[in-house]
Amino acid sequence: MNLTSRIHSYLKTVASAALGRTPAGRGLTVFPDDIFLVSYFRSGSTWSRFLFGNLIHESEPVTFTNMEKLAPLIYSHPDRVLRGLPRVMKSHECFDPRYQHVIYIVRDPRDVVVSFYFYNLKVRVIPDGYPMEDFVSRFVAANVVGYADRVGCWQDHVLSWIRLREGKPGFRLVRYEDLLSNPARELTRLAPLLGIEPDPKRIERAIRLSSASHMRSLEKKQSQQWVATKDTRQDIPFVREAKSGGWRDKLSPTAVKTIEQAWGATMKELDYQLITDAAAEHELVRH
Amino acid sequence: MSYPQNRWQRMVGALAEAGRVLTGRQIAGRGLTIYPDDVFLVSYPRSGNTWTRFLIGNLIDQTQPVTFSNIESRIPEIYFNPDRFMRKLLRPRILKSHECFQPHYPRVIYIVRDPRDVAISFYHHHIKAGNITDDCPLVKFVPRFIAGEFDPKFGSWRDNVLSWLALRGNDQAFLLVRYEDLKRDLTHELSKIVAFLQRCSFPNIESTAEAFWRASGLSSPERMRALEQKEAASWVLTKRTRKDKPFVRSATAGGWKSQLAPESIAAIEAAFGDLMQRLGYELVSEQSRVPLEAISQTGLPS
Repeated sequence: MNLTSRIHSYLKTVASAALGRTPAGRGLTVFPDDIFLVSYFRSGSTWSRFLFGNLIHESEPVTFTNMEKLAPLIYSHPDRVLRGLPRVMKSHECFDPRYQHVIYIVRDPRDVVVSFYFYNLKVRVIPDGYPMEDFVSRFVAANVVGYADRVGCWQDHVLSWIRLREGKPGFRLVRYEDLLSNPARELTRLAPLLGIEPDPKRIERAIRLSSASHMRSLEKKQSQQWVATKDTRQDIPFVREAKSGGWRDKLSPTAVKTIEQAWGATMKELDYQLITDAAAEHELVRH
Repeated sequence: MSYPQNRWQRMVGALAEAGRVLTGRQIAGRGLTIYPDDVFLVSYPRSGNTWTRFLIGNLIDQTQPVTFSNIESRIPEIYFNPDRFMRKLLRPRILKSHECFQPHYPRVIYIVRDPRDVAISFYHHHIKAGNITDDCPLVKFVPRFIAGEFDPKFGSWRDNVLSWLALRGNDQAFLLVRYEDLKRDLTHELSKIVAFLQRCSFPNIESTAEAFWRASGLSSPERMRALEQKEAASWVLTKRTRKDKPFVRSATAGGWKSQLAPESIAAIEAAFGDLMQRLGYELVSEQSRVPLEAISQTGLPS
């Protein structure tokens, strides 16, 4: 960091601390009955905030403008403000032993990397035309952008939660792909953790108000108001394909191989079919 | 390190934090800047971390013995100094941490200790720190230890240990050291540590029998106790604690056999038994023994 940016960051830190505006993030005060929607980046967590937000709040449909109030992100508000908001919060943290109730959303890393690529174009971390294969290598090495690298690579993130919490009463693992293909079944399974009766009508409403097309039309109207999109490129959408398997058209065989060699064993454990040849597969299982 | 209990404590905490922010003295902690050549000495609290810091510190620098007054600038905790201070330390750095799994720690020496002994040590530690009173019975303390109540950020003993073993247990850049092995065969364990350090950031560290002998003498419980008597008032870990209770306590393994009630032993083994067995800590309460194959799914090194 050079001197100007250091002074800038010092002033920003002092000002936000003095005004009590430092985002909670990792410094969040955690209460025993808090519920967390945890995931790696670009794994459907905004969609899940719509889904669960709409499931919880029956009178007010979730939009991009009220989402930070109805299903807040722990990085959007100071601790003080979060104390007064619904305690169903979204987090991207790697394993945090204080979280007692966790819905962990996992997504095929091959789709995550594609989505993260376009997101980083949108927020101007990478320029147009940046080679996808270079991005994939950086992604696997958790060397993309500071805030993301801090929580580890995809595999560290996923395993940290699964190895520590799978099978525990307050933990539910949900695959993004299952949430897409059968949202009603998944919400019915997860509702009790939120203390909600899985009533089919209520679930149907939540799914309808969180559809990709609905979210896209909301984004068009509200992207200038939502913190996550307002200072970003408006020509690239935040709500992208909202489907699974898109990586098949976007990733080269080399890129796929890079990911599968790094994380193949974990991907298989999570039922993500590998396409890299059997010999390479054997290598990585042994690894 | 437990949560502020009431409004006053919170306010004092907020004022202190504001002061630290204004003067640029925020404690590094999890916000620490990490360099690729850093080595972290990680453990659950009360697992022999400070002893290991003395041992390693005395091996690396053969000229000036480690004391409580210089340890925080040689192998410092990440919880007592601002990042600004930590960034100026001589590199490569060795840093003490109690964090659960941190994906960005490049190299880790993890010290693990029998949780039945950790519980007892923790109990005395919290009396010393004034978090519990003298008359709080050990048997009432144990369930709170199991729940990880006093340091929620570090997790329970199981969370802390398992998080590292499951994620890094098979990694070249991770070394697991049992406190009990250090006690039993110091030379052997020190050679492992030194080989690890030589492989990563410290190619020149000395590994002669003489160096080990010297380091072990300079880090003996007797010497550490004598140093503590002189320096407890100035060392950051002890200065605000009761002076009638020592920081360097029994420094032994297996004290639990005579000091823990059978129900406390059973409670710890019921909560942590699978992981304890995996680490070679033999269980004594019949009901908590689990067949080993039932716990092989945890991704631990065998």
